Formats: sequence, C-alpha cells, structure tokens
Amino acid sequence: MRRKFWLLAAVASFVAVVSLQSASAMTRLEAATPGVTKGEIVLGGTFPLSGPVAGYAPIARGMEAYFKYINARKGKDGKRGVGGRSIVWKYYDDVYNPANAVQLANKLVLEDKVFAVVGTLGTENNQAIRPFLNQRKVPQLLVSTGASFWGLQYKQFPWTMGWQPDYISEGRAYGLWIAKNHPNAKIAVFFQNDDYGKDYVRGLKIGLGAKRSLIVSELSYEVTDTSYASQLARQKASGADTWVAITTAGTPTVRAFATAKALNWKPDTIVLNSVAATEAVMSAVVRSVGADFVNGTISTAYLKNPSSPKYANDATVKRYKTLLAQYGPDGADPNNAFFYYGFAKAYDMIKLLQASGKNPTRASLMAATTRMNWVNPYAIPGVKVKTSRSDRFPISQIKLIRFTSPSWTEFGSLIKGR
Amino acid sequence: MTAFLWSEFFQQITSGLAIGSIFASLALALVLIYRTTDVINFAQGEMATFTTYIAWSLMNHGLSYWPAFVLTLLIAFGGGVGIERVLIRPVEHRPEIVMIIMTIGLFIVINGLTGWLWGADPKAVDSPFPNKTIDVAGVAISTQDIGTFCVCIASVIVLWAFFRFTSLGLAMRSVAVNSAASRLMGVRVGWMLALGWGLAAVLGAIAGLMAAPTAFLDPNMMLVIIVYAFAAAVLGGIDSPIGAVVGGLTLGVTVNLLGRYVDLVGEELKLPTALAVLLLVLVIRPQGLFGRVIVRRV
Amino acid sequence: MTAAVKGVLLAAAVALIILIPQRAGEFRLSQFTYVAIYFIALLGLNILVGYNGQISLGHGAFMGIGAYAAMIFILGREGLTATGANPPGWLLEHGMRPIFAIPLAGLVTGVIGYLFGLPALRLAGVSLALATFAVAVSLPLIAKHYDSVTGGGGGVSLPLPTTPFGWDISTPHWLYYEAWATAGILFLVAWLLVRGRVGRAWRSIRDGEVAAVSSGVSSAAYKTLAFGVSSAFAGVAGALFVIQVSYINPDTFPLTLSILLLVSAVLGGLGSLLGGIFGALLLVFLPIYSQDPPVLHFSFSKQAPSVVFGVFLILMVLVAPGGVAGLLRQVVQPIKIGLARRGSRPSRLAKEE
Repeated sequence: MRRKFWLLAAVASFVAVVSLQSASAMTRLEAATPGVTKGEIVLGGTFPLSGPVAGYAPIARGMEAYFKYINARKGKDGKRGVGGRSIVWKYYDDVYNPANAVQLANKLVLEDKVFAVVGTLGTENNQAIRPFLNQRKVPQLLVSTGASFWGLQYKQFPWTMGWQPDYISEGRAYGLWIAKNHPNAKIAVFFQNDDYGKDYVRGLKIGLGAKRSLIVSELSYEVTDTSYASQLARQKASGADTWVAITTAGTPTVRAFATAKALNWKPDTIVLNSVAATEAVMSAVVRSVGADFVNGTISTAYLKNPSSPKYANDATVKRYKTLLAQYGPDGADPNNAFFYYGFAKAYDMIKLLQASGKNPTRASLMAATTRMNWVNPYAIPGVKVKTSRSDRFPISQIKLIRFTSPSWTEFGSLIKGR
Repeated sequence: MTAFLWSEFFQQITSGLAIGSIFASLALALVLIYRTTDVINFAQGEMATFTTYIAWSLMNHGLSYWPAFVLTLLIAFGGGVGIERVLIRPVEHRPEIVMIIMTIGLFIVINGLTGWLWGADPKAVDSPFPNKTIDVAGVAISTQDIGTFCVCIASVIVLWAFFRFTSLGLAMRSVAVNSAASRLMGVRVGWMLALGWGLAAVLGAIAGLMAAPTAFLDPNMMLVIIVYAFAAAVLGGIDSPIGAVVGGLTLGVTVNLLGRYVDLVGEELKLPTALAVLLLVLVIRPQGLFGRVIVRRV
Repeated sequence: MTAAVKGVLLAAAVALIILIPQRAGEFRLSQFTYVAIYFIALLGLNILVGYNGQISLGHGAFMGIGAYAAMIFILGREGLTATGANPPGWLLEHGMRPIFAIPLAGLVTGVIGYLFGLPALRLAGVSLALATFAVAVSLPLIAKHYDSVTGGGGGVSLPLPTTPFGWDISTPHWLYYEAWATAGILFLVAWLLVRGRVGRAWRSIRDGEVAAVSSGVSSAAYKTLAFGVSSAFAGVAGALFVIQVSYINPDTFPLTLSILLLVSAVLGGLGSLLGGIFGALLLVFLPIYSQDPPVLHFSFSKQAPSVVFGVFLILMVLVAPGGVAGLLRQVVQPIKIGLARRGSRPSRLAKEE
C-alpha cells in the first residue's frame, strides 16, 4: 500500500519537475543567436534509433563521434572545436514517424535552442518539419535523404538544403549505363513502393531515354511484405535478363536475392541501389546465394568504401577507423558504412561552421551554404562539394562500382548527377 | 494484364504454401498458449526472434547446426516456463485486458533487448535443408520450402499426438477445460500452465529457425509475420492446432493469388484485402474454421 | 471517491489548465496541447474498453481516419491539387476553416466506427481484437493506396496553423485553448453518457452480457453505439492532431500508436474518465524525456529506450494494474475512511463505477 503511494508520488514529482523546468528555461537569458554561446554551438537532428529502420542509427552516432573528435583536438587555429566553441550534438529517436519528427523538431528549436537542424533522416520526416523550420528561419541542412526536392525547391524553402547525390541522378546513371552497355537488354525493375523507389525508377527511365521500352516488368514490394516470391516469379516469367533492384539496406535486399535464387532465376546483369551496396548487406547476400550469383552486380558510390582493399592504406579511412574506435560507441563496426557516412557528413558540417565567420549566425551559416567549394576527404577522389546560389546540391557526382566478392571496385569515370 | 500461365499459377501457390508454413508454425504456438492458458501472447513472435538470435550466436561461436538447434529449443523451453511463472502467473486472475497489456509489455522489452544485444543489421542463418531448387514442370520449388512445410506438418501431428495420447497432454487439456476440477484430480495446475508456455516457446523457436533463412534474421523479422500468424490462428479457430495450420497455409496462398490476379487490389492492398476476407469468414462463422462453438449458459 | 474530493480535483485541474499558458514556454505549451489531444482519444478508448468491455487494438487508426478527413476538409480539392495529388471531382472545391473541420471529422469517423461496430457484433474477445488489429494494420496501407485523396506515401503538408477570425491571441495559445476547450466539452459529454442510462447499459453489458440481455438491454444497439462514440472521439483527436502537426502521411498513424493508446488507457486507469489525463501525460512526456531526462544528465535510454519503456509497463502491470487512477483511489480511500470515522458519520463507502 505504501509502495503504491510512493509510486504515485514519484509520478507526480516527475510531472512537476518537467512542468517547472520550463519556468527556469524562461529565466535564462536568450542568446543573441540561438544555439551559439561563447563556448558552444548546439546542433540537433532526429533519426530512427529504434524500430524497423533502426539500421540507419549509426549515422547519428558516426556524426557524434566526429563531433567529439573535433571538440577534443586542437584545430589549425590552435583552438578546440570550431573557433573555440564545442559542438553539442543533440539527436533524438523519431522511430521514422514524421509526427514524432515534428514534435522533436519543435523541442530542438524551442527548448534545446539549437543553432541548426542537421542530418535529419527520412524524406517524409524532413518534409514534415520543413515548413516549421523555414517559418522560424532555422537552417535545415545536409538532410539524410536523396530526394531531389531539397535542391529543387530552394526558392520556396531557402533554409533547407540536402547533401548527397539524389535518387533520380543515381537512377539516371544506371539507365545510361544499361543503354550503352546492354542496348538489347530486357529489364525487370523491382522497387520499394514509396517515393524512394519511385524516384529511382523515374531516374532510370530518364537515363534510358528512347530505350525505355526495354523495361518488360516493373513491380514493387511493400515494407509489410513477408515474401517477394509472388512478384519475382512474375519477373522471371517475363523473360528479363537484366534486373534492377531498388531495395533498401538490410532484409529487403537479402530477401530479394535469396528469392530470385530460390526461383531459379539468374539474371545476366544485376543493378542494385547504392544504399544497399554495403559490406554488411552483401556479405549476408553472399552467404545466402553464393558469390557466383552476385558477382558482377553494378551500383554507384560517392564516398570511399571503408572496407575496400583499395582504400586500406588511405589516410582518411585509417583515421576514420581510429577515431571511430576512440570516440564512437563501444564495439562500433568500422565496416558499417553508415558510421562512415556520418563522419563524411559531419566533416562538411564542420567546414560550413568554419566558413560562417568568427561569430556564426544563422544568416552567415546559410550564406556559407551558397559558396561551398572544397574536397571532402571521405569522398571518392575527384568528387567536389560545390554549391552556388542556384545550385543547391552539394554532392552530385557519382561513380559506378562493380561487385566482386567480397568487395566493390570502382570503374569508369565520375558521372555528373545534375 | 499478362497472360495466364498454369506454371505461374502453380508457382504462386507453392510460394504461398511456403510462406504459409511459416505463418502456420507461429500460429501453432499462439494456439497452444491460448488453448492451455487462455492468453493471447502478443510477444510470441518476439520470443521466436530472440531464440533464433540465440541460435545464431551459438552457431557463430562454433557450434554446428543441430547441436545449436537442440540447445536453442531447451533454452526456449526454459525461457517460456520462466516467463509464465514470473510474469504471467501474477496477473492470471486479473481482467483479460491487463494480461493483454502484460504481453504487450513483454513484446516491447524483448524487441528492444534483441535490437540492443545484436544490432539492426540482418544476420545470415544457415538452413538445415540443402539450398537447392527443384524444377517441377516449370515451377521452381526450393528444398528449403519443402523442408519448412514438412516441419510444420510434423509439428502439428506431434502436437496432436501429444494431446491425444499422452497423460501429460491429457492433463494439460483438462486444465484448459476446468482447472478447479483438474486440481481436485491431482493435476499440478501451475506446472501445466508453465509447460504450455514452455512448449509454445519451443514451437516459436522452431518457427523462427525455419523463417530465418528466407525471411532473414533482424530484430523485426517476426513483426509482420505475427500479424499473419494471429490472423491465421483466429481464422482456423483460436483453439485448434489443425485450424492454425490450415489458416496459415490458406492465408499464404490467398495473399499471393490476390496480389497476382486481382488487379483491383494492387500491391498495397494485399494485406488489408486478405484481412478483410478473413474477417468476413469470421463474421459468418465466428468460431473460425475449426474452432469449437462456445455456448454460454446462464 | 466522494463528490467533494472529485470536485476539488476537478477545480484544481481546471485552474492548472488555465494557468499553464502563463508560465510555460512555447514548447511546453505545445506539449500540453498534445496532452489534451491524447486525453480526448483516451476518453473515447476508455468508453469502449473500460466502460463497455470491448477491446480495441485499432484506436490509433480511427485517429488517423479523423486526421485524414480533417485534412481533406481543410484543404479541399484545390488544396490537394496544389500538393500534387489528383483528387476526384466529388470533393468540395474549397477548404474550410480548421475549427469547422474538427467536428466534421469527428462525425465522419464516428459514422465509420459505428459501421465497423455492426459486423463486429458477431465477433468477441480474440476475434474482435484481431478485427481492430486488422484496422490498425490496414489503415496506413489503404491511405497509401488511395493517394488521390490522401497524398499517398509522400504525405501532405498542411499550411501552418494561424489564429482564426483575426483574434488577438498567439497561435500556440490558440491551439492550446482550442484543444482543451474541446477536451472539456467532450469530457462533459462522456461524463453525461457514462453516468446516465447509456453508461449503465454499457457497464451492464461489460459485467455480464447474458444477464444484461436478459434484463432487456439491447446489447447490439449499445455495443455499436460504444464503437461509434469512441471512434468519434478518436476522430476529433486525430483532427486536432493533424492541425497541430501540420503534416500527414501513412507513417504518422502506425500500429504502434494503437498499441500505445491502449497501454496508456490501462496505465491511466480504465473505468475512470480522469485516468485519461494520466495516460495522456505519459504518452506525451515519457518518450521524449526518457531520451533527454531533465535532471539526470546521462541518458541510459539512448541505448535501449524501448527496453526501459517495456520494463516500466510490466512493473506497472504487476504493481498497479488499476493504473494511476486505481492507485489514487487506493490512496484516497483510507484517507476518506479515516476522515469519515473521525466525523463519526456513516461514510458513503458505496463502490463507485
């Protein structure tokens, strides 16, 4: 009985503390620029740290590790952090639900008073928070999605900017490659039934151009599907010899390949979207269907592959592995491409902050985003991070890669995305 | 619409039976728990995933398949018994809704634990069956699928025989029908309930190990499958093991055929349509295909 | 609890609701707006599950239906076309003010819930659970499919809310008062229903359907009414929700929401309308502050937030199956008895509800 009283008291005090905390927040003096104080710059973002797409969580943690490194090391100006200010990185779990993303974005801006929202993951999540952030004039930068409208709609939403090559560009690269190298192919496209997958298909058709009629089967899958046998049986029956698989990283990709093999269908040419072309996924695929089935698969990349023998002695990759071991979560696997992606993104964010002047403001940060022009050492040699007032796609070059178990090899020259 | 090919039609059916066997296996576990303890265990799928991860860990540490398989089943049994005694027993006599919340809480904890302990990347789990595909008149059937199907059928036969022919099975059945009378007859009611959970956990572990080679082991492997398994169990009659299997296989085939041949349905509506059909069956026949009609006496 | 105690608590609650906007920052205010929204949803769920004894694993889906309905009413055909969707001709051309869309969305959802309740009469227990579960699982998929009216997977952004009729009050304040006024009205409605003939019929069905029918209570009519009423509440909550968030897509009303609503209803305390407040507080504050605890500076929950939540849930079920409201009752009861004894007047120990 008394136990229950204390439980109730605990709940009541929790509620009281939380409600009263706002009062103290109000009495703190508002900084001239939210999120920037003499010693700190506060950045924030939301990510799926739990739930079905928690596979992307290492992005946030990779960024965290890099920011910790920046805070610890002495930069070229002899100061730690950025100009002597430590980066405070606040990231929350939105379980990939846009409504949660909206509430958390409100928290980041109104309660945590972040300087900028960085790297939020998910097309719909970013779409949901975009109007609020633009209304409050909060930078929404380097979003973790390849939808093309961040870069295309900058006039309507000037505070929002993407980062990576967009899905349409990638699809286009595949289309061009197939049209050039397999002009008589019969193509089957298997894609995730959402804007992500549809963007790729759109790009593929643009790249194929007149050869768009080569597509003999265009079927999709839902995230709630437990088996793709139904769709892939149809694709096999269509007689296709080229298979373009737009399947997200993780189970969908492994399952797609395994199902194809189980149906006795071996397409001559396989194209896979870049998100799934990681070590972790490919090793599971190889384990399931054997290397012979997947050798020769084509994809694209714009970042160096940290597990590839080509970059085993690359200074940046080696440093990444050391930093991840030092500042990342315990047992972090450096071969997990999402940690690496987080590092690459955080690098560009730090460069942006450094380019925002001695006392960054939101306006100076946005000005810096219109003049990006540098080489990100995490990217494939030759790829430039470049923006202008009208070009709001920081990274748009990609390179084709081919799989030969256990790793991917780049080939050909850099392709311009836009 | 592309031409109707018999070989494709049979391909859709065989694939449907394959995935249906997995639904059926998990549905069997649900039915077993419901029949012996009157509880719908929402956490059944997560328990299955967790035990499959244990199997994966064992194999990763050097154990070969069959020893790992057996050890996993033993651990699953222990886990099931433990959960029943520690968490389910205290809330047994509470209203049904409280029990539902308990199993939901269990679901959340186990799902979180799985992700925390092993991470979100999919793990490859070997299959006990050879990874070959046979071609029968244009229809590709993988030995993996045949194996899963056989294991499913074997499970329901073993379960049926257990209930019918063994004294332990008889004791469990009597507890389900009338626990007070059973206690008077000397049956250790508490242990019968725990046994029910233990056996169901074993069935779930088997379902998980069958599913992992094709559904791929990640923390959310059973998330969608439990929806189908739940539907299959209710369709078949929530207290009928045979119903669970028939329900599972039917559901697997129906979803495939609906998606392929009914253009109106389209990709997104496969699952809702299957569920709607299922609910229609239930409205017409509320006890499910093989369930017993419960007559309420005043 | 005696009427006096209840009255005091109610007055305190109302005072708190009015005072919060004076002291709270903008974010805290929006959080309390969400509390009102979830409170409305939980009132509805409590009616169905707590007072009428039917189970629903799909309450979140009815919120979603209300939200989509509200979105369609607010945008109208022209607004939907502007977002890139291809809406059918039979939709109204122009949108309406959000304040009018809310009750309309509630009505639409109530009708749909009532229609759902009709075949559901044949189902009970497990089958009903499955049926509501099926609704929760199907809603996102159906919304995705009918993208000409829903905007499909990509979703629809609503224009950010503004204070209507040019009233001189800031938007966050307006949204807060709108939500709580609606909550107050609906609480009154629920309270009147529950303490009247309808509520008695519902409770009699819950406590023994056969006996209730034998006493002449039309089980079918009241059960479907319960579904209709609870869905209407969910619809209103969904409408307020979509206005607050200003965005909707199938992922905003997943199965998880339905599960969490049921969990919160039980944790708050079934069979007690005010229990919904506790459930709503839990729903709004626990997920956020377990990630960023206000006093403790390390967040153990970052590693396994769901484990913490699930353990909390299990503990609550073991320790306090009557929820917070049940706890309150158990704490207050002995105090009440003590007071009554002191006054040496026969205490009204009649068991309420």
